[in-house]
Amino acid sequence: MEAFARPAGRGLSHRRRNTVTAYLFILPTIVGVTVFMVYPLISSAFHAFTKWDGLSPARWTGLDNFRYMLFDDPTFWPSLRATAYFVLLSVPSGIIFGLALAVLLNRVVPGVKLYRTIFYLPVVLPSIAVLTLWKYIYDPLYGLANQLLSDLRLPTSQWLQSPHMAMPAIVIIGVWGVGGSMIIFLAGLQNVPVEVYEAARTDGAGTVRMFFAITLPLITPIMLLQLVLGLVLAFQAFNQVAVLTNGGPGTSTTLFMYKIYSDAFGSYPNLGLATAEALILFVIIMIITGVTLKTSSMWVFEETK
Amino acid sequence: MTMPATTTTYPPSQRLDPSPDLVTKRRIPLSRRVPMTLSRVSWYLLCSLLAVTMLVPLLWMISIALKPDSNILQLPPQLLPRTFQWSNFIRGPEQIQFPLLLANTVTVTALSVFGSVASSMLAGYAIARIRFPGRNFWFYLFTFSIFVPGIVTLIPIQRMFFAMHLIDTWFPLILPSFFGNPVFIFLARQYFTSIPRSIDESAMIDGAGHWKIFTRLMIPLTKPLWITMTIMAFQASWNDFLNPLVYLNSESKYTLSLGMANFMGGLNEATPQFNYYMASNLLYMLPPLVLFFFAQRYFMMGLGTLGVSQK
Repeated sequence: MEAFARPAGRGLSHRRRNTVTAYLFILPTIVGVTVFMVYPLISSAFHAFTKWDGLSPARWTGLDNFRYMLFDDPTFWPSLRATAYFVLLSVPSGIIFGLALAVLLNRVVPGVKLYRTIFYLPVVLPSIAVLTLWKYIYDPLYGLANQLLSDLRLPTSQWLQSPHMAMPAIVIIGVWGVGGSMIIFLAGLQNVPVEVYEAARTDGAGTVRMFFAITLPLITPIMLLQLVLGLVLAFQAFNQVAVLTNGGPGTSTTLFMYKIYSDAFGSYPNLGLATAEALILFVIIMIITGVTLKTSSMWVFEETK
Repeated sequence: MTMPATTTTYPPSQRLDPSPDLVTKRRIPLSRRVPMTLSRVSWYLLCSLLAVTMLVPLLWMISIALKPDSNILQLPPQLLPRTFQWSNFIRGPEQIQFPLLLANTVTVTALSVFGSVASSMLAGYAIARIRFPGRNFWFYLFTFSIFVPGIVTLIPIQRMFFAMHLIDTWFPLILPSFFGNPVFIFLARQYFTSIPRSIDESAMIDGAGHWKIFTRLMIPLTKPLWITMTIMAFQASWNDFLNPLVYLNSESKYTLSLGMANFMGGLNEATPQFNYYMASNLLYMLPPLVLFFFAQRYFMMGLGTLGVSQK
């Protein structure tokens, strides 16, 4: 340990030196959190009440942005509705399919690791690569989707070009990438002690009974985590729309994130409106995750230690 | 309904290390070894069917990447290429100056991975292992920023870089990562907290300062932690689309995500270079795939740990 010897006796006391070192270590992060979080939040909170195009100085207009959003903006409510639809379709399907796969693959048999790898594979691929691939899959003429459907004598679809199918088509891509949720559930399932199952079996419980009476209650904490993560991410979905549909057809896939992006960086930058919308999104996410966490005690199983 | 305590505790140094395989090292109940309602054969059938369904889009992509030009607009579309046109892997990338975009992406990714891992490791170490006034305050502030959606901060930050004349440069993509990543700091703090105090106390008695303890002792001890962070940071940067979209204008500065989206957007029946496109797209997927196969255990557990460590 000679290598660690340091010259004895610096002017500072041990405690003082510790504090200085610690602040040097976290200095980059303090700068980061100030410049990239605190300042932008304050700036947004101010600019939401201004007319601001990013070039000329912002002009205070009070609640104008909010009044415009609520009453005059033709795409505000449709985009909120599209976002709600997306969240309601994608979050539960992620949890249900993720859990189903995890239960299926929570076995010790030869080859199970290969299956886990295959199901996890889409999660690793870059989102743009995946989305552009699916854009081609959904092509009504040349795409794989319709080709397979017609081979199976099933009705085909216009997919992304149909106002009714565009959103489900986007959600299907998310289900394809359900491996991430599967891995989290798998880790949770493997924490369920085998003794509990053994005891239940001696009492004559069947597989289905054991799943609903033991497995499901014990993994509710993981489910809560998935739910909160899923909600936060779903409300901020953007790439899908930017790559696949540009919000169309009509406003059927205009997710709120995409609307904010278009208002901020589109042909007619309206940064005041966009920051106001971003704040609304923030508040919606806070309220929904808050309600989820508050009501979770009703269904999340607490271990008694 | 009372249950015995269930948490499996791994030795602290292995908390992020997936090597104690989540299943195989534990006693297996009969019920899991022999499926009850499904026979083993139908389990394999079901899993294989699902696996094939998952893989079909990728296999189809490979098939298109190999199709000759004349095959692309053929109706009904063919599942397999008539002949294999390997030159797609040369001509496709040429279309978007793939080597240039690759170099751009590698530069941006390498710098932001280094920046975020280094700055977050330092912050995580300081918060976990140095007692100093304000450490809880800073930790809570860093953690809080995890919950602020990116779009709220994006607009002011974009204006900031605009005022600094840094639009259409890579600085906005790289610079922020040098100032700590809140999720990484959270992970690092957890991990550093689990390392026994006696380790650095003895080094301290020998006269080592925190910098020496950090670089000589902690970095080797926390290999699983920073490998995990590196993988996550690599993925985030390699896949990032929104930031390049907001900050980059000239195509010569594009990253691959932007270049690929642009390439696909320009394709239609008039310029049916879908085979070129898919060949390039496969090349774009390759680095994360290679990383995945080499670092598979870290990949699988990166997410898994997040789920379990909350207990």
